[in-house]
Amino acid sequence: MADVDVKSPIPGTFYRSPAPGEAPFVSEGQVVTEETVIGSIELMKQFNEVYAGVEGTLTSFVAGDGEAVDSDAVLAIISTS
Amino acid sequence: MLEVVKHGLETTVQELPGRIGHWEQGFPPSGPADAWSFRLANLLVGNHRDTAALEWQFIGPTLRFHRDCAIALTGADVVAKLDDGVVPLWQTIHVRAGQVLACAAAKTGARGYIAVSGGIATASVLGSRATFHMAGIGGISGGSLKTGEQVPLGEAKPVRKLLTVVDSARPPIDPLASAGLSDSRIAAMLGPNNTWLEDNSVMMFFDSEWTVSTNSNRTGLRLSGPQFTFSPQAYAKPAEHGSEPSNILDHGYPVGGISIAGQTPIVFINDSPSAGGFFVPFTVPRFDLWRLGQARPHAKLRFRRVTMAHANEGRRRLDKLCSSQSLVEVDSVKA
Repeated sequence: MADVDVKSPIPGTFYRSPAPGEAPFVSEGQVVTEETVIGSIELMKQFNEVYAGVEGTLTSFVAGDGEAVDSDAVLAIISTS
Repeated sequence: MLEVVKHGLETTVQELPGRIGHWEQGFPPSGPADAWSFRLANLLVGNHRDTAALEWQFIGPTLRFHRDCAIALTGADVVAKLDDGVVPLWQTIHVRAGQVLACAAAKTGARGYIAVSGGIATASVLGSRATFHMAGIGGISGGSLKTGEQVPLGEAKPVRKLLTVVDSARPPIDPLASAGLSDSRIAAMLGPNNTWLEDNSVMMFFDSEWTVSTNSNRTGLRLSGPQFTFSPQAYAKPAEHGSEPSNILDHGYPVGGISIAGQTPIVFINDSPSAGGFFVPFTVPRFDLWRLGQARPHAKLRFRRVTMAHANEGRRRLDKLCSSQSLVEVDSVKA
C-alpha cells in the first residue's frame, strides 16, 4: 500500500461536484481508476476536470469544495494496493 | 508546418498590434496579453517583434515541428522539453524537423509565448492574425488551437546566432524573485470617470490589496477587495443611466480600463468588451498591461497612481527594451 497525492495542475477554485447541489464526483473511500474524475477546477471561466491518475481507493480529500488552490496543491490522497 | 499534439489550455495565435479599427463593431484588439515577453520571443528567432506567435495559458502545449526552425520560449516560467532534453527559456533554440516540444504547467506567471522563425502563417481576419477566442476568430478552426491541427509557418531566414535576453530586459514576472528590486505595483491613471467615486475611495483603491478572481480571463480580470463609496454624481443622474451607483449611460471602454461592476472592479484587457454601462474611474496604461496578463488567480495586486507623462515615459522605456539591444549571444554569456 502506498499513498499517492493527486495534485492540481493549475491554480483556480476546486469543486468536488459538477454543479452546486449535485452529488460529488467521488466520495471518500470510493475505488477509483486512472480515468476517474475526482473534481473540477475553475479557471478563466472554464471547468477543468481533475483525474485520479492512479488506481486505488480515494481515502481523503485535502482540498475542500470551493477552496482556492494553487498549482501543485494536494487535492486528494489515493491509497494504491 | 507545426502540429498541435496537445493544445494546452486555450493556446492561441496572437499578433501585434492586434485587430485595430473594428472596435466600434465590437471587435477587441486581442493580441498577446504580455506584449513584452511576446516581442522578445520574436526577436530571439530573427522575426520582426510583432510577428504572429503562440500564446499559451497556465498549461503549455505539446507541438511537433515539421521543418527545421528556430524557436524561443518566453513569459511564464515553465519546464519545457524538446524530445527528452529540457530547453532554456528566453533563448534561441534550434529545432530539427520531427522534434517535439512539450511544455508543462506555468510555475510563475500565467501566459507563455512560443515564437517560431518565419512566424505563424494562419489566415488574417479583419486585418490581423490575432485570435479572439470567444468569437471564434483566428487560429485554424476558429478560436484557440485544438489537438491535431496543422499550423502553417511563414518563410524564414536562416537563424544562425544563439541569442539570449539579458536579465535586465526581461519582465519581472515572479513577484518573489523581483521583490525589492522593482516596483511590482500596477500603474493606473485617474479617469475617465474618477469623479464618480468619493475622494477617499480613490485613495482607498491605491492603498488597498486586490485579489485576482479565478473568473478572470483574456476579457478582464475580476478583483475582490474593500467596498467603494460613491460621489453625489453617482446618485444624482437620470434614470436611463441605470439603478446602481456604478451604472453610467453605456459608453466605450478603453483597454486597461478598470470598471466598477456594483462593487467588483474589472480590469479590461486584450479581449475586452467595447462598451458597457459601468463607470471607469481608473485606466492601466498600455506599458503596464503585461502585469495583468501574467497575474495568476488569487494573486494580490496593488496599484500605483501615475500621470500621463509617467505613462508615456514607461511606454518609451519598454519600447527600447523590446529591441535587439536586449539580446546577447549565448557564447558571450558563458565566457
